[in-house]
Amino acid sequence: MSYDERVNAHPNLGDESDVEEEALVNDYREQVNFDDGMSELDRTTSLGAASQTQDLQAQLAAAATPLEYQATLETKFASYDNYCSLFHYILNSDGPVELEVPSYYWAWDVIDEFIYQFESFCRYRNRVARSGSNEEEAQLLRENPNTWGCYSVLNVLYSLIQKSQINEQLAAMKRGEDSAAFAGEYGSRPLYKMLGYFSIIGLLRVHCLLGDFSLALKTLDDIEMNKKAMFARVMAAHFTTYYYVGFSYMMMRRYGDAIRMFSHILVYVSRTKNFQKGGNSYDAIAKKNDQMYALIAICVALHPTRLDDTIHSALREKYGEQLIRLQHGGPEALPLFEELFRSACPKFISPTPPDFDNPALNVDPVDHHTAIFMDEVKNTLYNPTIRSYLKLYTTMDLKKLAGFLEVEPEKLRSWLLINKQRSRQVRWVENGLLDGESVSANDLDYALEKDLIHVSETKAGRRLVDWYLRNLARVY
Amino acid sequence: MGVAFDRCDTRPANIDAILSGLDRYNPETTTVFQDYVVQQCEDRTFDCYANLALLKLYQFNPHLLQPETVTNVLVKALTVFPSPAFSLCLALLPAYTQPFPASEADAQSAQSSDFVESVQKLARLSSLLESAQYAQFWSTLNSDDLYADLVADVAGFEELVRIRIAVEVGKAFREINAEVLEQWLDVRNRESLEKFVTEVCSWEVDNSGDNTIIRVPTNKENEARSEVKSERVGMDMFGRVIRRGFEQAA
Repeated sequence: MSYDERVNAHPNLGDESDVEEEALVNDYREQVNFDDGMSELDRTTSLGAASQTQDLQAQLAAAATPLEYQATLETKFASYDNYCSLFHYILNSDGPVELEVPSYYWAWDVIDEFIYQFESFCRYRNRVARSGSNEEEAQLLRENPNTWGCYSVLNVLYSLIQKSQINEQLAAMKRGEDSAAFAGEYGSRPLYKMLGYFSIIGLLRVHCLLGDFSLALKTLDDIEMNKKAMFARVMAAHFTTYYYVGFSYMMMRRYGDAIRMFSHILVYVSRTKNFQKGGNSYDAIAKKNDQMYALIAICVALHPTRLDDTIHSALREKYGEQLIRLQHGGPEALPLFEELFRSACPKFISPTPPDFDNPALNVDPVDHHTAIFMDEVKNTLYNPTIRSYLKLYTTMDLKKLAGFLEVEPEKLRSWLLINKQRSRQVRWVENGLLDGESVSANDLDYALEKDLIHVSETKAGRRLVDWYLRNLARVY
Repeated sequence: MGVAFDRCDTRPANIDAILSGLDRYNPETTTVFQDYVVQQCEDRTFDCYANLALLKLYQFNPHLLQPETVTNVLVKALTVFPSPAFSLCLALLPAYTQPFPASEADAQSAQSSDFVESVQKLARLSSLLESAQYAQFWSTLNSDDLYADLVADVAGFEELVRIRIAVEVGKAFREINAEVLEQWLDVRNRESLEKFVTEVCSWEVDNSGDNTIIRVPTNKENEARSEVKSERVGMDMFGRVIRRGFEQAA
């Protein structure tokens, strides 16, 4: 199925989502007017809650607040302890904790900050070991191997998910049943429900950071990827989800699906741009925005696709010249692929403490994943060349084409096989994100009869239904 | 034809239970997964999703890592090319393995252990298969005894790869010269080649001309027919229009 056909198959998406999008935009405007979660928190506490709740509120507030950029190692340890005691209180008290969440995005902020601190701690630890310069810090880190350990972080996320029975609730919602019936004692409370829900998104992110891309996608089995999903109510969560899902697809070589994910969120962002300017997460979103355009550029180069008009023009604006070089392929494009990948990939981490005694053994996980990705790019480097030539012919002699390209016929045969293989891709149709059908993703196809290449092109027919529906919607 | 990545027809129920629960993180299940890898090596099945779970356990508990099991998982992943399986496995290995060293010098310095060297050697094989350089793949495989050791545990490794190559050839070719196929499949003897293509692939051999030609019957992939794709019209597309009709009538 070509991309066109895909759009064609769901023309109603365009209209329906417009309405939903308006609602979301309004939603977002409200959120921005509330400025941020902190003022909300102040308001609830000043309403005269019991002092114990106030302490807890302070702890909750701290959990959602980013550490200072130059925080010392001690602060990081203390912050970890703070999270531990907070989550311990929430998860292991006698029965559910009585607490009203200030807002939707408070729960997101906590989970987001929790994972961010885990990520930056792991990266910092790795860096200390790699540089071997700060003996004092290295010693401190060596003595505390379990601080910000991967097992404790995953334990928190999974416990929140299980306590809230959020997966059962989501599955019920998917079946069209009342989720409250499956929520249980904990899950019926907003605090647990929200923490549980965003823990799923948190897991997606953690798995992706650890390089487990298939498990990352599997985590989202019960979440439906559409604008009605709960994550869509928090801009940063919406954004994060699509970034990591898209990236995971990309690493599983499902470029079509990756492009679909990135495009979806980028179109949404471009429509809500005016409201984000005032928000405090604007910078972070703007950065991720650029990263996703870079990833789309890579995906489109590896897997030519017709993009949404908005995306296409924005892409040309941001990466115009680079995009042309990427699409041209060949060895000259390699450094550019690498540069863009590095600038746009998540900050991969290694879950275990590094080897402080052998600095050379501690390779940056980002280098590791970049090298793996670049191997695939190298293997498929000549696909654009092949395609551009074959487009010109209906039949062509292999040896003659090899002459044009100045390569050995043997090499050209390999290139033809590679291009053929890479034009078949798994693409999502329904069910879980890991599900999919193998489809031909290219409008150019060919077969070899000995050394004669027969080329065929698939053309898209006229699309009438879409046209009719649009006009029907207009007049009636 | 759905191909969900997390499913596998040959996966036993107990493995499935571990994979869908939190036991997949339990270091004690490592041995279960290791046994499962041994089983896959013996009965020629492949379960990528389960093997990734094992590699994840190794990632979290480096002291449990068994180099032979890791290399066996990688060798198994080689037998399903072209697919992202191999690179997904690499992604979970410790970064110090540096599967694709930037230069020869890097490779030399990084080869501090046999394990690292094995991973790098297998990564090289993977690149050759993924880039369809089959003749080089066989010559590399046969160039060093270390490769023979690495693939020794995987029953029928060469045959599995040969079949994969044949499948890929079948998708792209309608006719192919026997000489080319000989090199790609590393079958040096014309008789064995003819036996392989007729018995395993059910292709035809044409000896009438000067050169022997292997004919691949037409299949969905190698017919390369020009077609005009027409649109798909489904009831769901009209949902909105129909709904509106009802709304206005009311």
